[in-house]
Amino acid sequence: MDGDSSTTDTTQLGITGEYMTGGTYVLQTQDDDGDESFNDHEDGNGSKDYFREQDIYLPIANVARIMKNAIPQTGKVISGNFKIILILCIKCVQECVSEFISFITSEASERCHQEKRKTINGEDILFAMSTLGFDMYVEPLKLYLQKFREAMKGEKGINPVAVSEGLGEELTDDSFTGQLPAGLITADGQQQNVMVYTTSYQQIPGVQQIQFS
Amino acid sequence: MSAKNMEKVEQATNRKNISLPMSRVRLIMKSSPDVSCINQDALFLTTKATELFVQHLALSSYKNGSGKETNTLSYSDLANAAEESETFQFLTDILPKKILAREYLKSLEEMEKDADNL
Repeated sequence: MDGDSSTTDTTQLGITGEYMTGGTYVLQTQDDDGDESFNDHEDGNGSKDYFREQDIYLPIANVARIMKNAIPQTGKVISGNFKIILILCIKCVQECVSEFISFITSEASERCHQEKRKTINGEDILFAMSTLGFDMYVEPLKLYLQKFREAMKGEKGINPVAVSEGLGEELTDDSFTGQLPAGLITADGQQQNVMVYTTSYQQIPGVQQIQFS
Repeated sequence: MSAKNMEKVEQATNRKNISLPMSRVRLIMKSSPDVSCINQDALFLTTKATELFVQHLALSSYKNGSGKETNTLSYSDLANAAEESETFQFLTDILPKKILAREYLKSLEEMEKDADNL
């Protein structure tokens, strides 16, 4: 399998449909109109009204921003060499994210049931992460939780439920404050400059960043 | 919400340092079977963990990937990470490896040949 992503050979980039998945899974791209609706796979005929568990995703802009900030400064996130397929790569991560949340939640939920409790609490989540191989997250998460609680206590005169509902708003165009130029090489070899819009990514001073080896 | 409250919420958002909507995370959590109540700590931890997960996945895939020289992260990098890393094993169904059609057809032919030879 050719793993060279800088090739401009169109036959290898899959435009002509030469790439095929090994199993029955098919990646769909034409359904996406960039809309951050809950049900990203809504049938065009409008015949599906229910949300399937696997269809609920976190907004693509938020996911894209986190990915972009994670890889080193000059890195870019693409799949193949096309802007259109850029969305595909991020959509895949969106699905992974939903899978991750379900993964952790069902583990935590099971523990709750075993202990005859109805409410999933913080400990359950942390324990689930440890069990499932994400124990490297646990210590930093405890620190973040501490900061979160302190910040919540500082909100006097505001309904804490209303505050938590307002947190982490989905990104709209107004939220974009910073711009980063990003270069993309398209299939015909021409360099294209694309502006990547980001908001500033907050880092908590004093919380050690996790080293992912 | 009043304008003053909106402003306070915005400041609060920056202080609380998360960049994913908790309401959406709650929706995904509740779509798991047998989940009744989720307390606020649990919701925050899951949201924050999800951010860390995205960073982790993107960075791991990028570092082990073939695009380091060209500074790119591609789908194959993600698929490789799912297969090779124990932590990301649960993603193998969602991130299948792609193969060239002609290779797939070739392996199909070989399988048929084997079947004929039996």
